[in-house]
Amino acid sequence: MSSRELTIAGYLAVLAAGVVLQLATLRMPERLPSLGRVFTHVMRTRTGRVGVLVAWAWLGLHFFAK
Amino acid sequence: MTEAAHEAGDDQLATTGHPVAITPGQAALSGLRHPLVGILLLIGLCSAISGKPLDGALMATVALLLAWDAARARQRYWSEDQTAHPTRTGPRRRPARLVAATAGVAAAAAYATIVGGFSRYSWPVTVGVVALGCLMVAIGWQGPVRSRPVLTGRPLRRVWLWALVLVAGGGWELSSLLQQPHLTTDSYAHPTISALSDPVLASHPGRTVFLGGWLALGWFLAGR
Repeated sequence: MSSRELTIAGYLAVLAAGVVLQLATLRMPERLPSLGRVFTHVMRTRTGRVGVLVAWAWLGLHFFAK
Repeated sequence: MTEAAHEAGDDQLATTGHPVAITPGQAALSGLRHPLVGILLLIGLCSAISGKPLDGALMATVALLLAWDAARARQRYWSEDQTAHPTRTGPRRRPARLVAATAGVAAAAAYATIVGGFSRYSWPVTVGVVALGCLMVAIGWQGPVRSRPVLTGRPLRRVWLWALVLVAGGGWELSSLLQQPHLTTDSYAHPTISALSDPVLASHPGRTVFLGGWLALGWFLAGR
């Protein structure tokens, strides 16, 4: 496996872990928090809410803006 | 009540047993000490020195606004009822929600198609993305759009699982970035997510789909 393939496999592994965790929360909602509930928790304060939305805005700026 | 107000209240009550006024200077310092303010200022600085002055200016602006807000909350925390961030809308009827959702999807599709029609890093796309980003942050500043149940008990204790996934992803991206020959030169052997997305974002359909995903993520977050 080349370095490039290994690097891409790493990204896919992290993505797969997130998908598996989200699916697990559907089966065990009383034991595991879904990603949506985690964001709700983080965004319960103004600082957390604005921080998350700024991170989202930064993604758009990073990929598209000058 | 905001975090700063909570912290302010704890500090003051712990030392005196009742709320005590603080000076504007103390309030400003407390705002600047907030961790997120420091993180945003650092991101702004790194963006500016890596050739993205607009990103840097926007991050720094939001950081200073948050610091100002935290300082203001610290100054007035005892003087008013800060049940904080009440939701702004009551429950909507199903037909109204359906109409709003349909209009939102249509607007998002139009935005993604129009903005995606311009090349990356051009002024039109920059204006479109910056305007929407600022609008969303302004909406978020007002408080949650709707109320949601609070995370408690066992699920709350398992939040670290998501933190682990996010840190692993961020760490992997960072390791690829640091293995590039230069911070602004992509590496074929160790591509970052940005480098992997470049071929997709080179075409109009690719940019439209990507912008659609970005909007969907924003909609998901705004509803938290």
